Amino acid sequence: MKHTLQQVFSSPRFVVGFSIFMFIVLTVIIYPLFVRADPLEIIGEGTFFEPGVYVSVYDSIGSSPYTLKLDDAAANRIAGKLGDEERLAMQEWLVAYGIPENEIDIQDTEKLLDQWVNNYDPTEKIEGMTNAERRYFQRLDESLKGVLATEGVTIAVENTETGTLEEVDSVEQTDYVNISQVPNVRVLPLGTDNFGRDVLTELVSATGTSLKIGLVAGLVATTIGLILGLLAGYIGGLVDDVIMFVTNIFTVIPTFVLLILVTFSVGQEYRGAMTIAVLIGLTSWVWTTRAVRAQVISLRNRDHVNLSKLSGHSTTRIILLSILPFIASYVVMALILQISTAILAEAGLSILGLGPRTTEVPTLGLMMNWAMIYSAHLMGRWWAYFPVLLVIALIAFSLNLMNTGLDQVFNPALRE
Amino acid sequence: MKGYAKYFGGKMTWILITFIAAFLLNFILPRLMPGDPVAVITQRVAQGMDSQAGVQRVYEQYTELFGTNKPIHEQFILYVKNVLQGDFGTSFSQYPRPVADIINSAIWWTVGLQLPAIVVGWLIGNVLGVLAAYLRGGYDKVVMPASIFVSSLPAFGMAVILLVIFGIKLGWFPTSGGYGYDMIPSFSWAFIWSVFVHYQLPFWSIVLIIIGGQAIGMRSMAIYELNADYVKFSRFMGIKDRKIIRYVFRNAMLPQITGLALAIGTIVGGALVAEIIFSYPGLGSTLLTAVRGQDYPLIQASTLIITLMVLITTFTIEIFYGVIDPRIKAAQAD
Amino acid sequence: MENVILEVNDLTTKYITRYDEDIYAVDHVSLKVEETKSLGIAGESGCGKSTLALSLMGYYFPPLHYTEGEIIIDRRNISGMDPDEIRKSILGREIAYIPQSAMNALNPTRKIINFIEDVIQAHDMYVNKKEIYERASGLFETLGLPAEVLQKYPVELSGGMKQRTVIAISVILFPKVLIADEPSSALDVTSQKMVIKMLKQLLETGFISSLIFITHELPLLYNVTDDIMVMYAGQIVEQANAKEAVFDPLHPYAKGLMGSIIVPESGLRDVKLTSIPGVPPNLKNPPSGCQFAERCKYVRPVCKAMSIDLRDLVDGRAYRCIIPEDELRDLYQKEADQNAR
Repeated sequence: MKHTLQQVFSSPRFVVGFSIFMFIVLTVIIYPLFVRADPLEIIGEGTFFEPGVYVSVYDSIGSSPYTLKLDDAAANRIAGKLGDEERLAMQEWLVAYGIPENEIDIQDTEKLLDQWVNNYDPTEKIEGMTNAERRYFQRLDESLKGVLATEGVTIAVENTETGTLEEVDSVEQTDYVNISQVPNVRVLPLGTDNFGRDVLTELVSATGTSLKIGLVAGLVATTIGLILGLLAGYIGGLVDDVIMFVTNIFTVIPTFVLLILVTFSVGQEYRGAMTIAVLIGLTSWVWTTRAVRAQVISLRNRDHVNLSKLSGHSTTRIILLSILPFIASYVVMALILQISTAILAEAGLSILGLGPRTTEVPTLGLMMNWAMIYSAHLMGRWWAYFPVLLVIALIAFSLNLMNTGLDQVFNPALRE
Repeated sequence: MKGYAKYFGGKMTWILITFIAAFLLNFILPRLMPGDPVAVITQRVAQGMDSQAGVQRVYEQYTELFGTNKPIHEQFILYVKNVLQGDFGTSFSQYPRPVADIINSAIWWTVGLQLPAIVVGWLIGNVLGVLAAYLRGGYDKVVMPASIFVSSLPAFGMAVILLVIFGIKLGWFPTSGGYGYDMIPSFSWAFIWSVFVHYQLPFWSIVLIIIGGQAIGMRSMAIYELNADYVKFSRFMGIKDRKIIRYVFRNAMLPQITGLALAIGTIVGGALVAEIIFSYPGLGSTLLTAVRGQDYPLIQASTLIITLMVLITTFTIEIFYGVIDPRIKAAQAD
Repeated sequence: MENVILEVNDLTTKYITRYDEDIYAVDHVSLKVEETKSLGIAGESGCGKSTLALSLMGYYFPPLHYTEGEIIIDRRNISGMDPDEIRKSILGREIAYIPQSAMNALNPTRKIINFIEDVIQAHDMYVNKKEIYERASGLFETLGLPAEVLQKYPVELSGGMKQRTVIAISVILFPKVLIADEPSSALDVTSQKMVIKMLKQLLETGFISSLIFITHELPLLYNVTDDIMVMYAGQIVEQANAKEAVFDPLHPYAKGLMGSIIVPESGLRDVKLTSIPGVPPNLKNPPSGCQFAERCKYVRPVCKAMSIDLRDLVDGRAYRCIIPEDELRDLYQKEADQNAR
């Protein structure tokens, strides 16, 4: 046993796959210890907030400001307001006004602003410009005026008695706050999803659930496959015929279709995460049965088995002691494969809308589903679906690698 | 040809039995569902109706229509009779459109997409596998890890990736539908072009996934074959390497075909989900709307048709295998 | 002296393992085979005889690499020739190779006649299919194989028939040298006899000019080949004609091989069977000095100190041992007397 473990861990593929997988598992376990938030808690009002650090504006105002004189502060402020679209529009207007094009550099913020301020005239009638366009430029000019100002902003609070606004505080352009002093800061590395939930926390929780589903489904499928395969392979005869008959039918009927039918029939009420797991397990044992059966058949005429038979050992004992240990390697590989398939199957089901109930726990498939329904991919909200996809792919990939590594250890012929 | 009769006959019987089993399962499973689907529809349809008697009459009407008031074996006989006539009932969610009609308009999109995709993917994947096994070295080092990664991706994963990269970021291809929204199906060039363009992303998603899976398997098979005695002998008789690769491909291909027959079910399942991602008007999307609308005649019919398609494909592949593997013919001859 | 069809001088080839170690499976081997003659190569598994056969073909694949030496077939030096040239004009035409367990050497999905067509076309011989068929069926019939075999797939033939088919195919281009690697090992006795008969017939009728027969069964060679060569750890340790090799082996290893054989003759009961203890050396780290020293009964200190050269005697006889001829014979005689008691 020790020797086998040694061999297994010296296979590079297995080690890489194992490491990735363990990393994911550990993240799932450790993350909730640090971040106690409820994964399904809706924290954002509105959909698909971008990833970033969210600082409470109210608390920022209340915190003690520090004065920082930074050279590029003004330029950054302006650059923030002037996106490519706006710059091109300004260039367009200036050219139409008569400024030669080669004198305009849209990347040079200062010069561009200069030219604009010096030349823009809202009353100027430019050839071929529609009213809507004129108003656009007026608005643009207005917003720019605000940016160029150097005074600060005044915070006023309404006096509940008199109804007038009383000055409470003022904010200068050179005022900065230290984020770590602001009481309410929320880091959202992956933004929020369509419901307004923290994607990262949700993702970690979903991964955990999906892994659990995969594990349960895998165990169920492998157990069924193992038992059926052992019986069919060792006992043979009629038992074998019956089991193989059923197996063959289940091979040809697409598993996915079966799964759809079954989960649909079970109905919305009963579709908890674990129920789904069991259902997946109940429909995917076919491959394992075949593989186990083939192995058992090749084993059952080996000398040690015959010796056991001659010694009068009971069938159960023979199966447990003489056959099981030899197929253990296959069973482990089959289990890994089943877990991987189960996780993918759950994802597929969820995309169809047949996944676990949406109100209890998220799963990877459900997250994909929501992202799809709310067209995250079409709107470029990559954080809602891409990390999920990546995690799914990584899990499947690491499991596959582990399996390939194990395969090479147990089948020396495949070693390179 | 005589030898084949036995082989074909056996396979045929087998397919028939499996189909009957699938048919039965297909019928029974949804009916085990707790709750009454007719009540659900009635509720939806009768919203805003005040009179209890009115609601009751609607309910009775639907029960009559959908036959849920009869005992199950009668329902079954009725169902079989209808199916043989091509009548799959009426859709709940797209009432009063007949299910057969919905399926008919969707099935050709699916077949047209998946069949060529599977064939192309299989061919390319296997050729890559043989090349990787033969060339080894750098080529192998690139193909192998890429294949392992791609084969770990679920089909919808590849679909999403292609959609985002080529459909949205680069904007080269449209991202949904089978043809432009503004088009009406006709035989104009504009329409055909629109279909072609909308075909690309779903098609290549499926192809790439299949390539990933096939390349790995084929590579292992090819490596195994390349070490076979007949390869050595052929080499020593002076046969060119190019011809030897053809030998190896032919021989390694055989188990791959069998593998394909076994995996068709899974492949089709994955491809259906890919269709959904692209809102492609095939059976995938049909299934989706059916599930969302709790439309069990449509679900039932869809799953049945999908099963039938997979069965036919499996059967065809197995027949094909029997024809091209001379060992089968020889085994039958004695 | 008859025409020397195959001459090999100091051929050395090695395997390079993936850890970049060199294994010299063929170590400075020299041999000569004359026209119409046959040479048997005997030795235990792993001694390098199969590698020698592969090396003689002139077509090297990693991990097998050519190091030095000459291979001259019918006065044509093929060592160091361009691989494509070798493939086209040497393989199958000048020299052909029948692999071990030849039954598996046939492509299962190709008809025999199609494979023969492939072979002929590969040598840029533009012969049409009808002529190929005639030639093939003619050859097959002569060798005792029915012409129907040509239309069959390998799976439809029995083991012995496949073996003979492979032999027939290997001579389709009438090579000058035919190398048969353990042609009879995997067969039942009757088939063995048929195969050997077929090979001898090929030589006698002139389809091939010379034959090299590789086996681990030394006594088999007595009735089959003219000369015998014994290999050990990649080197030739004994070279003699058949009679001498079997009845008067000089090298202790060859002597040991003969001693482990039962010969049905009078006095058998009193003869003690001897076996050679130990195992062949690991070619990755060959010992210095004589390779056989570890297992040799007559080992002396000097044996392990320096590498031993092949000692040439008259008439092409040679053996690799530091002990002179006569002394060896004396030692063997003493041994036999002891056992007889």
